This record gives sequence, structure tokens and C-alpha cells, in this order.
Amino acid sequence: MKFKLSNLVTLAVAFVIISGSMNAAEPYKHGPDSMRQDGVPVGKVTKHQFKTSQLFPGTVRDYWIYVPAQYDKSKPAALMVFQDGGSYVNERGSFRTPIVFDNLIHQKKMPVTIGVFINPGVIPATQPGGRDRKNRSFEYDSLGDLYVRFLIEELLPVVEQDYNLTDDESQRAIGGISSGGICAWTAAWERPDYFSKVLSHVGSFTNIRGGHVYPALIRKTERKPIRAYLQEGRNDLDNLHGNWPLANLQMAAALKYQKYDYNFAFGEGGHNGIHGGVLMPESLTWLWREE
Amino acid sequence: MMRFIFSLAFLSTIGLPVSAQDMPLSQILIEGEGWELVSAGYKFTEGPAANEKGEVFFTDVPESKIYKIDLDGNVTLWAEETNATAGLMFGADGVLYGTSIGGGAIVKFSADGKMVPVADGISCNDLVVDGHGNIYFTDHTNGNVMHIPVGGKPKVVAQEITFPNGLILWNDQQSLVVSDMRGANLWNFRVETDGSLSFKQPYSTMELPVGSIESGADGMTTDKDGRIYVCTTKGIQVFDTTGRYCGVVSKPQRAFLSNIAFGGTELDTIYVTCSDKVYKRKLNTKGIRYAVEVQKP
Repeated sequence: MKFKLSNLVTLAVAFVIISGSMNAAEPYKHGPDSMRQDGVPVGKVTKHQFKTSQLFPGTVRDYWIYVPAQYDKSKPAALMVFQDGGSYVNERGSFRTPIVFDNLIHQKKMPVTIGVFINPGVIPATQPGGRDRKNRSFEYDSLGDLYVRFLIEELLPVVEQDYNLTDDESQRAIGGISSGGICAWTAAWERPDYFSKVLSHVGSFTNIRGGHVYPALIRKTERKPIRAYLQEGRNDLDNLHGNWPLANLQMAAALKYQKYDYNFAFGEGGHNGIHGGVLMPESLTWLWREE
Repeated sequence: MMRFIFSLAFLSTIGLPVSAQDMPLSQILIEGEGWELVSAGYKFTEGPAANEKGEVFFTDVPESKIYKIDLDGNVTLWAEETNATAGLMFGADGVLYGTSIGGGAIVKFSADGKMVPVADGISCNDLVVDGHGNIYFTDHTNGNVMHIPVGGKPKVVAQEITFPNGLILWNDQQSLVVSDMRGANLWNFRVETDGSLSFKQPYSTMELPVGSIESGADGMTTDKDGRIYVCTTKGIQVFDTTGRYCGVVSKPQRAFLSNIAFGGTELDTIYVTCSDKVYKRKLNTKGIRYAVEVQKP
């Protein structure tokens, strides 16, 4: 099928209309902390590629490093990792994380934090026209410590070659959306000695690869030192893997039962980052509060 | 294509990373279409494979026989004295290839059912033939996957799988999937241009019978949308293109389910070999033929 420019224009117009109405259906608007403010120092974002993983052999992935303007290499910086890094680092998307970081760090609502935004891996096909082996579900939905080991043993050491990162787990957080959300929880669940804060947007605590068991595991496992902010919407997915609103309600109930330090933001949204994006300043302030 | 681009742009703007399409069983199962018995009275059936017309061939392993199911559903004896040939598959050349377990050989059959060795002195279980004529087969005795390049000799291309049993290529024939009968995993490999395999990964995890660590996984097939179908103790387990479990289709009877292939003129019917019987079931999808699909470089 050949594309003409006019087709693309029509597409773009249709798309703006639909996404506009989507936003209207969900009553969430970005606040000032998700927008550039005069006088707030702007951090620097650089793009990189990682392709030497032994734990996920053959994978290639992009990642971005955000370094706040306040970073001083003589002082260890806090760390926050995001799955689906491309979405979270995008300043015109829902999350606008670099902007929110700039504002909150300036207001001292969160520490001087280096952000590492990592895309899932892809094992490229051998020849042109072939289908790449997409590793997102394998890396994010699988239970166990493989992904967090990938972070701790393989990718973050590369970041640490250039930046002074904290060795205090209370200063390390991890977040993501959908499968990236359960991935964040799994990383902290497996290695609470490394990640102590979790941010989950419409997290897939469903049976994609067995993750529906977490509420049961949480209830019967001695409480781990994890602080968690879960965002979910009542219009989220209901499909073969499970029911997202019910799964997140089960997560919240289990965290409450075990007296976790958690916050559950249950809104009107569907399976997207609109609500979670608008809540970024609030959720990061809550996660990074000192107490 | 247009819809695809549209949804990509849409998803990325509202902040949801592009994720794979869900493939529930409801997409492929047809209400009211259950299993239909094709034929019964065998010792142990295996190796269903469809030729270009959609006729399905299968083996009775202990009897060393191959049968043909024609397009009207008639079953006739097609070959004898196959030395316990089990797995079958048609190559792009229209020739039927097989694994002779008794003979320790990869074999091929002429149009009149005469058996000729392609490679012997090996141990084999099941095979897949790509559109170029490369043969991959499992050697469960040694836990290996083997490759026979066109006109070449068998060599080990993957090792250390507990019991490699069924195997199938993705539709682009650039990834190979191997089922482990004694474990829980489907192992994915990238197929390199020289036919070797790389980047082994337990890309999918199968559902296991309660209390067991063995999937009982055996023969596999794929459909036009890239789903992977694998015969297991629990039934036919189906996986999507990103390795996620879609669900399990019940077995036609409480007996060992060995293998599966699409057949029929429209290639929209699965044929399964289930111990003493062969069954079929129409699905709302179609199989693929590597011979036709391989036009790519």
C-alpha cells in the first residue's frame, strides 16, 4: 500500500480529534509541575544504546539518562529507573518525566535524582523483512529476578561509569506502565535491598505470565520494605489475561492488609497513561517524601 | 496497514507503550465446531503433515505405516515398512520428509511412497523443513537440536534441552521454537543465515498439570497470524507472537496428544494425532506453507 502525503494529513487530523475526545472522556489535565516553569533549571537528557546483555542474549535497546542541573558529581545522586523509557522520557507525552523532575527537584520535593529510562529489548531478525523477537513481555511480565539482575548487574553499572549514584536503597525507585508497572513491582519484590520505591501505572497484575499471584504472595510473605504508589482506572482492560481494575484493587487490599506504605489512586481512566501522567508530580512527591 | 500506523501513533501519544495485540482463544475457536473423529484403530499416531492440496498424511509409528487423508476424508494406506517413521513434513519441493526413529535416519518419500535416507546414523524425533530445504530435527536422546543444510550433513546447532520434542519455525523462518517435553519451556532461537541457531531463550512458559514439572509437550504448528500451537498433556496450548500464553484447547480424548498440523483445501482445519485416533477441528484461522511463504531473501 502506497501512502500519499494527503493520507498522512488526514490521518493526523483524525488522530488529533480522537485523542482530544479521549482526553475529554478522562477528566484529567496536566498541572503546572508538568509544564516548563521560568527560572527552573533544566536537566540534560542523553540517548544511548545497550546491546551487550548476557542475561537477555542478543537484545538491543535504547535508553536515556536524565541528569538534573543540580547534580554534583561529588555527591551521590538518587536513582529512578523507568520501563518503556521512551514513553516516560518524552516531554510531550503523558508523563513528561524530565519536566516533572526539574520542577520537583527545584522545589526540593524530591532529591537530586538521575533518571534512567530504558526500553524493552528486541532481538532483531537475521534478515530484512523478518520479524524481530520482541522481548517486552518476557522481560516485564515474567516473575523472578532476571530483569532486576539485568538492571543491577548489566545496565546500571554502565550508567555508574559516568555518574555518581547512591548506594542507599531508600534513594532508589523504579516505575512503569502496564507490564512495565508489574515489572517495577517485581524488581522491588525480588530485590528490596536495591529498590525501595515503586510507581505503577495501570499495572498488569494479571495472568500474562503469572503475575496475578502477587496479592496472594503479599498476604503470606513477611512485609518487605517497599513503598508503592499504584495508579489504576475503573475503565481499564478486561481480557484473557485478567481484569486490570480488579487486579489492582486486589493489590491495594493486600498491601493494606500487610500494612505496606502504599497509595492507591483509583480513577476513571482506561489502559493508558493519561491519569498516571497527570498524577506524576503528586505521585513522585509522595514516593520521595522523607519520613 | 493504515489502521496499524494509526493505532501506533495513537498509543504512543496517550502514553501507553505499544504492546502486542491480544490473541484470546475466542478469535480462533468457532462456536459449535468441536472435534471430529477422522479415523481410529491405530497403535500410536504421529506426524500429521499437509501437502500442497491440503491432503493430510500421518504415521502409525509402531506399525511403520503412513496413511493419507484425502480431501473427502477417506483414509488410505500410503507407505509401509517406514522403520518407525514418526514426524513428517512436506518441503518446498513437494517431497514428504520424515524422522525414522527405528532407522536412526532422516528420510524422504517418493510420490509412490518409497523411502530414501537423507541422513543416517543419527537419533531423531521430529523435524521441520524450511522453504529453502534446510532441515531441523530434534534429538531427544542427546538433548540436541540438529540442522541439515541443503546437501549437507547433520550438525548440532543447539544443546542442553531436557527433552527436545516438537519444533516449528516462525512464519518468516528466521526464528525456531523447540518444545521441551520434560520441562515447562518453549525455547526460541534466532536462525542465522548459515542455518546455525543463536540467542536461546525460554520465550514461553507452558501450563503444567498440577503437581508436575513436565509439560508433556510434543508436536507444534503455527498459523497465518503467528500463533504457536503445541500439543501438551493439558491440551493444545496456544501462544501469541510475543510468547504470551493465549490458553489451552481441550484434547479430543484422554490420551497422549502427539502432534498437530493444519490441513484441508483452505488450510483452516487442525488435524491432531491422539494415540490410537486422528481428529480434526475447523478453526477461524489458517495454517501457512513455508514453501509459499518463503519468497523473502
